[in-house]
Amino acid sequence: MRTIFVEILIAVLMLTSSLACGSSAEHVGIVKSMAGEVEIARGDLTLNAEPNLKLFEGDIVQTGPNGKAGLILEDDTVISMGNNSKIAIKSFMFQPNEKKLSLIARIFQGTVSFLSGRITQLAPDQVRIETPHATVGTRGTHVLIRVD
Amino acid sequence: MSRMARFTLLFFLIALASGCAKKTLVAMAPDPDGKPGIITVLNEAGSVTIETPYQATKIGDAKDQPDAPVQLGKEAVEKIFKEALSVQPQRPLHYLLYFKGETTLTSDSAKLLPDIIATIRKRNSNDISVVGHTDTLGSKEFNTTLSHDRAKAVKALLVGQGVEENSIRTTSHGKENPLIPTGDNVYEPKNRRVEVVVK
Repeated sequence: MRTIFVEILIAVLMLTSSLACGSSAEHVGIVKSMAGEVEIARGDLTLNAEPNLKLFEGDIVQTGPNGKAGLILEDDTVISMGNNSKIAIKSFMFQPNEKKLSLIARIFQGTVSFLSGRITQLAPDQVRIETPHATVGTRGTHVLIRVD
Repeated sequence: MSRMARFTLLFFLIALASGCAKKTLVAMAPDPDGKPGIITVLNEAGSVTIETPYQATKIGDAKDQPDAPVQLGKEAVEKIFKEALSVQPQRPLHYLLYFKGETTLTSDSAKLLPDIIATIRKRNSNDISVVGHTDTLGSKEFNTTLSHDRAKAVKALLVGQGVEENSIRTTSHGKENPLIPTGDNVYEPKNRRVEVVVK
């Protein structure tokens, strides 16, 4: 009985601390368009995506067999995903005044369209899209990536 | 389970575990604004660049050099990425509004408001950013306050037209981020502005 209580307490603490982190940091983008099953993994939480849901650094977006999703990041980068696709926003910094610019995304699987934004314009070397097989860099264009 | 079925299952499990079918395909699509671009695909074995729309490269393994790019053609590329492209949001729209005096819009900028409202409605946007700026005339403190007041004035105009207050985020950059770089204490109407970004 006592262990169950401790476990519940730990779970509640973890939940509240991750929620607190999510709300204190600036969001890095939003889910703009979607259809079917789309989930966001944030730390230990899994959220069902909905249009206009805010995205944070570290979020992993995953679409189901009938899912698809379009994301807009704060620097105007537009990312869209077909079904059975999974992408992580590993790093995102967009503070042109302080020259803090970085965008690192990782595609685990699926089909992804990446329309570059302001970070690519201002600091193309700070933009990286990783897959299990290679790293993709871009100078201001529209990139399509499929990972089987 | 028949012997054949068991054998097939075993085959698939081995294929899955060894990951032999895994690979990455990278292709270029034309930029919507028509700007040219370059894609670099790199791993520990080497790198290739793609400079023409609908060219693509394949990478079978992180230890293998990416294939030389080949032209797949528009139709083939659009077929592979049909689902992803079908849900691709439009790029955010940016509007620049200019001021006469402190927080009153110029008449030309005031005429842009209906356009902004229409875009917000059409895109069903609830992530609108309103960023205030000033020219370099006056102290840093004065301009920080003024850029804040300008952003608030534009927010009030949008809210007055029925835009949800919680959908608008205001920020102010004072004189730190001029559109037209000038020296300090310079009057420059193009720097007295608010940028509205609609996602």
